[in-house]
Amino acid sequence: MRYLLILLLIIQGTIVSLPAWAQNVHVTDLLGRRMAIPKDPVRVVSLAPNITEIVYALGQSHRLVGATTYSDYPAEADMLPKVGSYVHLDLERIVFLAPDLCLAIKDGNPIAAISRLESIGIPVYAVDPRDLESVMDTLSRIGRLLQADKQAKQLVQGMRRRIQAVESLVAKTDHRPGLFFQIGISPIVSVGTNTFIHELIVQAGARNLAEGDIPYPRFSKEQVLGMSPDVIIVTSMARKAVFEKIRQDWYQWTNLPAVKNDRIYFKDSGLFDRPSPRLVDALEILVRLIHPEMFKEPS
Amino acid sequence: MSGDHSDIVKRLSTVSGLLLIVLVVVMLVGISIGSSGSGVTSLWHIITDPDHADPMLLTIIWKLRLPRVLLAALVGAALSLGGLVFQALLRNPLAEPYILGISGGSAIGAILGILLGLSQFPGITLTSFAGSLTTLLLIIGISAGQSILQKNALLLSGVMVNAFCSAVIMFLVSMTHDARLHNIIFWLMGDLSMGSLQHTGILAMALIPCFVIIFWFSNTMNLMLMGKEMALSMGVNIKRATVILLVTTSLMVSACVSQCGLIGLVGLVIPHLFRLMLGSDHRILFPACVLGGGAYMVACDLLARAIPQHGEMPAGVITALIGAPLFIYLLKRSGR
Repeated sequence: MRYLLILLLIIQGTIVSLPAWAQNVHVTDLLGRRMAIPKDPVRVVSLAPNITEIVYALGQSHRLVGATTYSDYPAEADMLPKVGSYVHLDLERIVFLAPDLCLAIKDGNPIAAISRLESIGIPVYAVDPRDLESVMDTLSRIGRLLQADKQAKQLVQGMRRRIQAVESLVAKTDHRPGLFFQIGISPIVSVGTNTFIHELIVQAGARNLAEGDIPYPRFSKEQVLGMSPDVIIVTSMARKAVFEKIRQDWYQWTNLPAVKNDRIYFKDSGLFDRPSPRLVDALEILVRLIHPEMFKEPS
Repeated sequence: MSGDHSDIVKRLSTVSGLLLIVLVVVMLVGISIGSSGSGVTSLWHIITDPDHADPMLLTIIWKLRLPRVLLAALVGAALSLGGLVFQALLRNPLAEPYILGISGGSAIGAILGILLGLSQFPGITLTSFAGSLTTLLLIIGISAGQSILQKNALLLSGVMVNAFCSAVIMFLVSMTHDARLHNIIFWLMGDLSMGSLQHTGILAMALIPCFVIIFWFSNTMNLMLMGKEMALSMGVNIKRATVILLVTTSLMVSACVSQCGLIGLVGLVIPHLFRLMLGSDHRILFPACVLGGGAYMVACDLLARAIPQHGEMPAGVITALIGAPLFIYLLKRSGR
């Protein structure tokens, strides 16, 4: 066993030969790894769609030379050279783009791929955007890396202001309707406590009926009926025709409070499927759906 | 007797030489094609004039494509040998680690190892080995004592064990929401893309001793195929040879599975092909399976990389697409 280890170290020693980066800075990423990255990275590859969004939001898209598939927001991001999906990265494409920095997701990108890239000499900085707070942290971190501190600060301030506005609005009422947030159609899937959507639901002043330890729990139709949700929100990548079918499906159950009060809503999943700066938009949409009474003009 | 011996050596070296050339050619093609483009000519430039080569292409070839091609060759060799040994020991031309559920068992072991947070080597390889040994014992236990129906009983119990294993795998995957299992679907269909030189080196250290053991026993397998009486009269310790060969093969298969996932039916295609071409002398079939199986796997992986326009498909898709029809054909023929 010890010989194996020694051999392993020898092999590793011959593989890892980091090129000398001019003007490096030392940073520690959210995987706790300390690394040297260029002070002014000009060839950045984003390894997840929400990181692509963040780089665009910071106005640093000119630094991007590649991104993963489904990096479709903003629309022009779709034009970037693709480097595989974020769970199955095409390492050869990434190396071919000769990046001086890759931006990865801590729990999303496979750790094996991250270490392969590093063994080739490409620094990979991992961030961990999971919810509103960590998206703002990610904005600041990537802002620092890409010399966009000022933009990051502005974005974070703007986000905070809008979050506070929602919070003070929700604080005016004690009403907390029960919400069933449906992200999967067949099977029916909702969101548990440890998800960013749960956080949005609570912040927007509703009770998440699917709360619990399981991040993305599955439900039978019977279980959903049993919880008698006041509001049902369905998000999906599916098209309008599918939405209509699901609506018909739920509307059979005329005793369901959400059906009785006509409160089943369909939203494009783009806003709700990834923790990006647009989470604030999602929050504002949610609060309007959950507390429409707060937005009515006093008559 | 000595004439026979030199004849074997001659055939052995001819077969090995020819297949080695095939393997090297396929590997060179494998190295020269990838998702970033470039062709055989640029590889030639790199070999003939390394000082003026594009450093990025050098990196891609040495650190991404070469490890992957070497890994494919190793895995192909090991899985082909696995099929060869199972077919000889169980005296069933349709026996193969994947069909018998041995691969499935080691996949369960590997997933449990991943969930327990063990390291790739030796941790996950060992849990995977335990999984494959368990399924092996299970299959032999189920089909033993049914001598008349043994051939079908063995295959049927293998099919059931395999079905059970895939159910357990899906159960484990559905029960956990572990980020480490994100890649599981790709891995389940056989994925060679994450092979680094390190991993390939470790795998080689585990596999090459197994290859040597199997080659050591190749003549024993010949004698065992002639029947129990014959083998006993030639001084073969059948029980010992069987145990050593089965355990070695399981170790080999589980090392491959824990590294690259489930790549099926390679052990069916390659031994059959060479038995048709070269006859049933295991001393010849051994190098044929190692070199030919390696070349076959490299070619399958190459197809898996080259066919999709975006990204790649798991290599196991290709091996199953080729292997399953062949299995049906062989099953139909053996029924006649």
